[in-house]
Amino acid sequence: MKRQVVLLAMLSWAGAAMAAEPPANHRNFVACPIVRDTNTVPCWLAEYEGETYFLTIQTDVSAPVNPPWLGHRVLVEGTVSDEPRICGGIVLKPVALSVMQELDGSCNTMLPAEERYNLAFEPPRPPGPSKGRLAFGDPVTKPRAEEVAASRSFELRYEFDSLVMFRHAQPLQQIFEHARQSNATKVQITGYRAASLLSNGQLMQEDKEIGRRRAEQVADLLRGAGLTALQYEVKWQDETKRAKGVEDAAVRRVQVVVSR
Amino acid sequence: MLKAKVKIAIGIGAGLLAGAVFADQPVAGHVPNQNRQAQQAPVSDSQSPPANRWWTPGEGTPLPPVIAYPNSFGQVGVLNNAGVIDTKGHPFFEPIGENGRACVSCHQPANAMSLSVEMVQQRWHETQGKDPIFAPIDGMNCPDLPPGDPKSHSLLLERGLFRIFLPWPPKAADGSNIDPEFTIEVVRDPTGCNMHATYGLKSANPMVSVYRRPRVAANTKYFTHQGFGVFSFIGKNGLPATRDPETGLPSGMNILSDARQPTLKTQAVEAAVTHLQFNGKLDEERLAKIVSFESQVYTAQAMHVGAGSLIETETPPGLGIYNLAKGREGLLGNNVTNFVFPMSEAWRKPAPSPDPEITRRNDMRASIARGHDVFMFRTFWIKDAMHLNTVGLGNPTKRTCSTCHGMHMMGMDIVNGWMDLGTTNLPWAREEPLNPWNERKPQMPLFKITCKANVPPHPFLGRVFYTQDPGRGLISGKCNDVGAIVMQQFRGLAARAPYFANGSAGSLRELVDFYDRRFNIGYTDQEREDLINFLSAL
Repeated sequence: MKRQVVLLAMLSWAGAAMAAEPPANHRNFVACPIVRDTNTVPCWLAEYEGETYFLTIQTDVSAPVNPPWLGHRVLVEGTVSDEPRICGGIVLKPVALSVMQELDGSCNTMLPAEERYNLAFEPPRPPGPSKGRLAFGDPVTKPRAEEVAASRSFELRYEFDSLVMFRHAQPLQQIFEHARQSNATKVQITGYRAASLLSNGQLMQEDKEIGRRRAEQVADLLRGAGLTALQYEVKWQDETKRAKGVEDAAVRRVQVVVSR
Repeated sequence: MLKAKVKIAIGIGAGLLAGAVFADQPVAGHVPNQNRQAQQAPVSDSQSPPANRWWTPGEGTPLPPVIAYPNSFGQVGVLNNAGVIDTKGHPFFEPIGENGRACVSCHQPANAMSLSVEMVQQRWHETQGKDPIFAPIDGMNCPDLPPGDPKSHSLLLERGLFRIFLPWPPKAADGSNIDPEFTIEVVRDPTGCNMHATYGLKSANPMVSVYRRPRVAANTKYFTHQGFGVFSFIGKNGLPATRDPETGLPSGMNILSDARQPTLKTQAVEAAVTHLQFNGKLDEERLAKIVSFESQVYTAQAMHVGAGSLIETETPPGLGIYNLAKGREGLLGNNVTNFVFPMSEAWRKPAPSPDPEITRRNDMRASIARGHDVFMFRTFWIKDAMHLNTVGLGNPTKRTCSTCHGMHMMGMDIVNGWMDLGTTNLPWAREEPLNPWNERKPQMPLFKITCKANVPPHPFLGRVFYTQDPGRGLISGKCNDVGAIVMQQFRGLAARAPYFANGSAGSLRELVDFYDRRFNIGYTDQEREDLINFLSAL
């Protein structure tokens, strides 16, 4: 069912209204990712309209941007930066990457290391063991014991059309800890459905049910972790009309408000 | 054989383990020097129990503080931190169920608290197949096959596998049905159990039968830790972790191949029912004794045929039972501060010696150290491994063995430890193509998995794929958990072949070769040999 919806949504690009286009310095597109080896960690690239763009390097679980997957296409939503090219690609920064769920066997390009494409900087995390810490900190941390506010809002951001995944363990843990420390009595969960305005003017919309599914899943997970005594208010919204090609990824979210 | 073959004391007089004791309690004066020479003197065979020493349930023999058993790579040691264990009346050692088995039946000290297929075969011959380990419930391919016929026990006799029967659809902790994300169809049923009218998938009490190796019931502080990565939500998928039903604390989910039990205690409750055929729930006193025993017993290789003692003071901190017992749990070892199995420079670059035997010993130590470096630093492309490539590393990721096997001193995954490395899912699982000239038939069941239309396909295998054992998927009902197996610890490997949860690697060579094929690593002969030597010393 969901697959059909996604396919329909993707097939509908061509017929979508070309009402607007993202700003010129934005690149929003779907393509096969490309991995290029270097003498340290590999680079992740993608090609769009004859140009190569640098997406990210291999880091570790704690990185704010995680590499895509061969075997799948990737939705790239990025801003062209003025940084020097990396691995031959124009640097998109900031960039949001969403792995498309369906398999695509044509996305299988691995390029060998070449001297001219070696990184001009030391990567936060080498390809082997780390130097004793995660590149960007512990992916799941307990909040410090401090005075707990009566009400606090949390936000979970999602990849396109996706539900909870590894990177949500940390914000979920924070919600969990806060609810316990604050003796919360209720939680309000709002799931959002979004769309992405691609650089070619097409609108890529998420599954029609995704907002509801996101909200209900977060509620189920919090209950499943033991927060069963809270009063849950679960709702969802469709914000596909907000797509402007700038920070569309930020709209794919669940808002959680925990209060006493 | 080295003259310096290390003496390992047997029995209660374990004070003979002087080198190791001194490591914890330095002794002044001449004794350390005496100890060094004492450790170099050979051990007569009469002092070591035979490799096939079988602990019979209810035999009542005290289990000494330290005991060692020979294996083809040297000797495996078992260390009881609590001192002598009085096994008489002890629920780990007594046949508490209906079928005459005890916990020790499948967690034998001589096999690093697991059970080798060699030992299984030995018991078959010694008892004409009447040992309780061959009980129909799980020591037979399916419970109603003809007893006494080796064919009825072929998976146990040939691959050391016991039948694990799990309800389908899966059950939540409260006993309610979980709506699975996939359908399961029996494609091949060589044991007859998955299509069986009483025991099968379409029976009145629907069960899936899979076949798995007994895991090591020792070194448990490491894989039950509350340290790095153990939170209320699973770091690999954001879903709630299982919880200790008594404390409410989240579990690290590294017990059993599918993490279906959160604690040693709940695992003991289940094992008593499913393996020992104990009818009911064990009382608190016996459960406490089982957990207490499992929490203080350590096992690791204690002597290596080439490298000598693994309990002397100069033993690298990652090797030997004493270092294992005093190590810190809950540490990520995939870094150059903790390391997974810390080595020592003395082994990596030993001082030259005019003594050819010392030189040979040092050569083996250097090989083990190189094998460690292959494990830690030899990069390759890890591709299409569910719960590894999907947790932020990208697919593929250029990493090393220790990326997945990162738990300090164990080599398990430090966080909730299931992963699909390809041991049970096709196309990587061991499957011999059929041909008309070969009488060997497939041994393992084969299931067709179809991910339902309302969920994403498996990220690397698609919507329809095949598996010999759905692993974690049988518990969570998640499509992307199919074939994901909680990896096993690396300690005492030399004493407990075969390897992997489905026993598909008969030797350390086959284990290394599996990874070489799976990830196209391209080990050189030297790397392969060093890696095997390293693994055999753990």
